[in-house]
Amino acid sequence: MSIFVRNSLIALLVAGAITGTVIYTINYLNDARIAELSTIENQIYVDTLSLDTQFSLLEAAPCDSVASSTTLTGELADLGERLSYAESQLGTNDSQVVQLKKQYSLLEIRDYLITKELAAACHTKPVIALYFYSNAGDCSDCDKAGYALSYLRTTYPALRVYSFDYNLNLGALKTLIAITKVNGPLPAFIVNGKHSYGFTSLADFQKQFPKGTFASTTATNTKP
Amino acid sequence: MNLQVLTYPFLFIALYFESFLLVTFLSGPARASRGKMIKPFAMEVPRVAIVVPCWNEETTIAGTVESLLELEYPKKKLSIILVDDGSTDGTSLVIDRFSHHSQITALHKENGGKFTAMNLGIEYAKDAEIIGFLDADSFVAPDALREIVAAFNDKHISAVTASMSIHKPRTILQRMQYAEYSLAITLRHVFASINGLYVTPGPFSFYRRFIFANIGLFKHAYLAEDMEMAMRMQRAGLHIGNAIRARVYTKGPPTFAKLIKQRVRWTTGFMRNMFFDYRDLLGVKKNAVLGILVLPLGIIAIVSGIFLFLLSIFQVIRHVIHAFSMTQAAPLSYMLSWHSSFTWFYLPITVLTLLGVMIVAGTFGWMIVGKRMSRTPGKLMFSMVLYLLLYGIIAPLWLMRSVSDVTLGVRTTWR
Repeated sequence: MSIFVRNSLIALLVAGAITGTVIYTINYLNDARIAELSTIENQIYVDTLSLDTQFSLLEAAPCDSVASSTTLTGELADLGERLSYAESQLGTNDSQVVQLKKQYSLLEIRDYLITKELAAACHTKPVIALYFYSNAGDCSDCDKAGYALSYLRTTYPALRVYSFDYNLNLGALKTLIAITKVNGPLPAFIVNGKHSYGFTSLADFQKQFPKGTFASTTATNTKP
Repeated sequence: MNLQVLTYPFLFIALYFESFLLVTFLSGPARASRGKMIKPFAMEVPRVAIVVPCWNEETTIAGTVESLLELEYPKKKLSIILVDDGSTDGTSLVIDRFSHHSQITALHKENGGKFTAMNLGIEYAKDAEIIGFLDADSFVAPDALREIVAAFNDKHISAVTASMSIHKPRTILQRMQYAEYSLAITLRHVFASINGLYVTPGPFSFYRRFIFANIGLFKHAYLAEDMEMAMRMQRAGLHIGNAIRARVYTKGPPTFAKLIKQRVRWTTGFMRNMFFDYRDLLGVKKNAVLGILVLPLGIIAIVSGIFLFLLSIFQVIRHVIHAFSMTQAAPLSYMLSWHSSFTWFYLPITVLTLLGVMIVAGTFGWMIVGKRMSRTPGKLMFSMVLYLLLYGIIAPLWLMRSVSDVTLGVRTTWR
């Protein structure tokens, strides 16, 4: 065997081993990301259940749960950001990401219902926005809409924004879509029960919200 | 489709190339080549002639000749032949000032191109066993010739190349070239050890006299006569070696325009010689290092340099358009601020970035090795940073221009 052939084979092995190590490292890192997301979701699940139970126990004074609800919504927002990042790294079709998104959507729906119940019981009027988007390539304005909602949530924490992947195969989400009667082109928004479709600019979008919305403070969550 | 996927094959080839460099660097022939030590002058040292072709080099030729006169070599065994190739500046007067020196022969001729000046020098170097060449804008270290001659002790070696670096780099572009030349020192050393060189550079390459008789003199060769001669030697089955500690310093182009001009000449010279006259070397098993690895990689380097540059431009434009569209969704101040928490979760580590970092680190490592092994003076760190920042932007420009010139048949000029 000539020195060229020998060195070529060794170099191929070395390059292959390095590439394999790099791919393994990235997979390990992504698995760790998924594991962290899963841990956060489990924690939020417990917190949601706890809040639900607390709400039931405090029938006489349900408004004591408002602070817990606000904290929980903040945690959901952080989870949403992480899930969005994981989705960008692993792809929208990754089975683990899809599974986590389903769990996340369930937590969002549960939080949305608790928020509504608390609002009714405590006679408060939180601004609640439901946002439906698509990652299937059929929604050219969804990026902008998601970004605008992130900006509004960060700047005006009084908003409670719940983002849902319209195409996610989840029974509870399909029911939510059915009862809210979202049937127009995406992105779709329901702000305090009022429907709107499409996104043009931040200024136009802000007009969908009740007057005085952008002065109060509460936590929300964004598109995953 | 994620366009980054298209970069993976090129990254793997780069990784493979660096791995091959490492394995070959550690192999016996390269170690033996590095281990060759110059000895105190024996009774018999070969008679050497150094030809300096000059054309309009009045500002540098004196320094070039003075550095040759300071070479540590028996004066009776070394002759210096200065050939003025019809300069229109004061080069002729400068070289005439040296003509009284016993070692120096000053020749004047009508302008005919660098290769004609080199061939005239060969004619006048009748008694030399080894004939070398030095560009008139280059300078040599005093022990450089001893290192070269030591490399000729190997009877299989027909030509020996030196280690080039940039003479007193001042401008940003010269510093970038300083890093590039440091890398080239390693590449030349490693590939010479397995006879994979396809160029014997103008600054301080030496040949046994018989090869000119056997395979002929220099040719025009699309203004790349040093490349053509090396390819002709490879075709004839001759071996080209390297003396890594034979240091020669050359004036790097100080401006963007001059650098592009020089590199277009080199690249078009490579492409035209390769595709028009020496296509038979490609894929040849007789010299597999050259035919299966070095020359194909040279072509891949041109293709990948252009492709990755265009891909990067496309990605940048895409991001700019996307960012611009996002200004409809949020104020610029929000877009430019960081929103996520600083945790390991958001580390932007991907296969692309990790492989990229490893390849860059490897490249820097080879630059350091080249500088240290050749004992080249100067500071490398800042040059490496400039190389990292600029080379990937500037090199594709001369590559694209070269491909365009060769495709359209545009004639390349020297300056």
